[in-house]
Amino acid sequence: MTAGTAQLSLRSSLHTIAAMVRRASNELLRVPGAAIPGILAPTIFFLGLTAVFGNLTNLPGFDADSYESFLIPVTLMQGAGFTGAATGVNLARDIEQGLFDRFLASPTPRWVLLTGLVLSASMRALIPGTVLFMVALATGVEFPGALGLLIAIAAVMGMAMVASCWAIAIALRFKTQSAAPLMQSVMLALILTTTAYAPQELLTGWLYDAALINPATHIVEAARQGFIGDVSWAETWPGIVALLGLVALLAALALRGMRRTAY
Amino acid sequence: MGAIEVSNLQRTFDGGVTAVDGVDLEVAAGEIYAFLGPNGAGKTTTVRMLTTLLRPSGGSARVAGFDVVSESADVRRSIGVALQEAALDPLMTGRELIRLQATLHALAPADGRARAESLLRRVDLLDAADRRVGTYSGGMRRRLDLASALVHEPRVLFLDEPTTGLDPVSRKAIWEEVTKLNDGGTTVFLTTQYLEEADQLADRVGIIAGGKIVAEGTPASLKAEVGKPRLEVRLSEGRAESCNEVLARFGRLLPGKDETLAIELAAGASGIAPVVRALDEAGIMVEALELHEPTLDDVFVIKTGYHIEGDDPAGADAEAVEKTER
Amino acid sequence: MSPATTLRVIGSLGARAVKQTFRRPQLMAPLLIFPTLLLAIQTGGAGRAIDLPGFPVVNGFFDFMLAGAMIQSTLLAGNTGGIALAVDIETGFTDRLLAAPIPRFTIVAGRLVGTAVLGALTAVWFVVIGLLFGAEINEGPLGVLAMIGLVTLSATAFGSIGAAIALRSGSASVVQGMFPLVFVILFLSSAFFPQELLLEPARTIAELNPLSYIVEAVRDPVIGAFDATNLLEGLGGLAIVATFGVTLAALAMRRRLRIG
Repeated sequence: MTAGTAQLSLRSSLHTIAAMVRRASNELLRVPGAAIPGILAPTIFFLGLTAVFGNLTNLPGFDADSYESFLIPVTLMQGAGFTGAATGVNLARDIEQGLFDRFLASPTPRWVLLTGLVLSASMRALIPGTVLFMVALATGVEFPGALGLLIAIAAVMGMAMVASCWAIAIALRFKTQSAAPLMQSVMLALILTTTAYAPQELLTGWLYDAALINPATHIVEAARQGFIGDVSWAETWPGIVALLGLVALLAALALRGMRRTAY
Repeated sequence: MGAIEVSNLQRTFDGGVTAVDGVDLEVAAGEIYAFLGPNGAGKTTTVRMLTTLLRPSGGSARVAGFDVVSESADVRRSIGVALQEAALDPLMTGRELIRLQATLHALAPADGRARAESLLRRVDLLDAADRRVGTYSGGMRRRLDLASALVHEPRVLFLDEPTTGLDPVSRKAIWEEVTKLNDGGTTVFLTTQYLEEADQLADRVGIIAGGKIVAEGTPASLKAEVGKPRLEVRLSEGRAESCNEVLARFGRLLPGKDETLAIELAAGASGIAPVVRALDEAGIMVEALELHEPTLDDVFVIKTGYHIEGDDPAGADAEAVEKTER
Repeated sequence: MSPATTLRVIGSLGARAVKQTFRRPQLMAPLLIFPTLLLAIQTGGAGRAIDLPGFPVVNGFFDFMLAGAMIQSTLLAGNTGGIALAVDIETGFTDRLLAAPIPRFTIVAGRLVGTAVLGALTAVWFVVIGLLFGAEINEGPLGVLAMIGLVTLSATAFGSIGAAIALRSGSASVVQGMFPLVFVILFLSSAFFPQELLLEPARTIAELNPLSYIVEAVRDPVIGAFDATNLLEGLGGLAIVATFGVTLAALAMRRRLRIG
């Protein structure tokens, strides 16, 4: 393959990715009513959980005064998780309607299709994230500093990629929109079986062990920096590794699903 | 008193779309009446009004002697309905669905079960009866739909586009079943966009376009309105003059195209044999012989200016509006 | 239609509703998996809350949370039932029922019977889970029966709201969109935490929320003792919800029949 052809296919790949991202945002704009719950859900959870469990900060060993500040990274992740799951639901709908076959039958490489979907998810996840962030600041959460914010944004986009890879894999396996609960609940479980509700020392029973092993704990803790305590490299790199690992694993799963679907 | 009596029936939807614009018709007991028209003409809307699923905006209708608005419960007891979308539950089995329908029509459990079995046998779905409807083919779903419409032996059966989307074999099967039902005395009101269906099945046809009936009558009388069958003859060699002499004995000569000679053949297909014999006796060699009968589409074109197969340009909105309103 | 036949119709439609849920295992997820998952996570995550001053005396946080999980299940059952009804409307199955000589209300009643059965099943599920994981139900077998009864009624009451939304919108995605709202109502009640320990304004809202009283009535047999006042308040809460839901459903049905 000459350099010219290679460049051509790279450009066309980028075009395809851009087109898929555009299409995904079309859906968002065309049916705003359906998107609102997804955008508001994390904020609702944030307000609700802080009102319900807010008093946990009074427990000895809870190293934060503001439960809001403690919880916000969790609900940011939740928003990313819902957005990723929504990507899977949309794909399932495309599969049901036979539209996806058209994409698969095109010369576009599978990884390009996947990238388009995953990228659109990671960008869309910033919408509920922003809404949530604004609300959190309004409830008195302190601004996490530029670095903290950067890490939070990276974590949100990363988590959305993780969630969308998972949801896409499920969509390709089950080929139906009714697999949506499976897409959502696994991501919810991933995010909540961490130091979501309380610091590690205060977790009880099985959750203590689960949070220790769960790679998502590192992601939550990394995103928590700035909101609670300072940003440090020691707290950040485990989160990065966890994100990269999860994305690699689930992207491989999704890609495998795409290849098998073609037969 | 007819099985169905409709007087100036109207239906307008929000946004001003008039789907049915003053329809009058009467269907006698034991008749098969076909509503023929393109998509969007108002067929489904009319059927929904007659089956009490939709309130008329104006006019009135009586089905099986009951008013569709004020005596709707009585109407529902007397009718069987198989709607266009074949509204079946994909998670239920065929047997479960018919039994449910039986319960909905107040059949006692034992009777309901017995009826379900006999109906399943009748539409040849006994083998598939315990499989989920979601696994059925289009033809099987229609047969199940038809069977469940018959559970209570209704006096009047409404079929909305019963064979749309089916392969020819399935279509024939449905036609046979409908004819058998009608032989047993059931009045059938069906809507269709297929000429052949109306032609084959119906005692009378109502052609609907833009929410109004534009022509009504038996298939034969409708076609006769627009003309008589035309026999076209192409000769293998000259002798047009002598051929015309022979043909003129059987019908009025018509202007022919190119090498073709034509006559009006009042007798239709049964009149061909004598013509062939006469031409043969006269020693005239014929290359091709073709009979063109007017079709219901010809009737449609004459009355409305466009063809049936395709969409009603005026009405396409109406049925779309109805779908979104639901 | 005679009363016996009407009951038979309602029973058949209810049986269908139950079968639907079992034949689509994905529908079981919001009903059982979500609430059980959340129960496990919240017990593990917030378990130390029992050490907070003001927390009622309990055997463990799990015992406290059990009632909340059960009621959460019933809210989700109502949502799921509503979605199923909306799908019926979208596919035209409801037309099949409307064209049959059955009283209109049986269409909703049948759906609610199905939801009630599912409610009872989830109640049994959580009782079993509770006992398996060490909860102590103070009032014993009688308490269990009371819980199952209340949860069944609760499923029916919330089912009527789900049905109302389905009838009004005719769209499964609208009903699906109500999902987050379920959690709003739960958070603004004493489902997951004692009312006195909630932060404002949730605390005040919880005091006015009928759901709090329903949850308390289910919680009593586990952590406390039968309390006539709590029971009555709980039933009152159920009555409020049920009246609200049934009225909305009837109005929505009437509107649907009028418009077509």
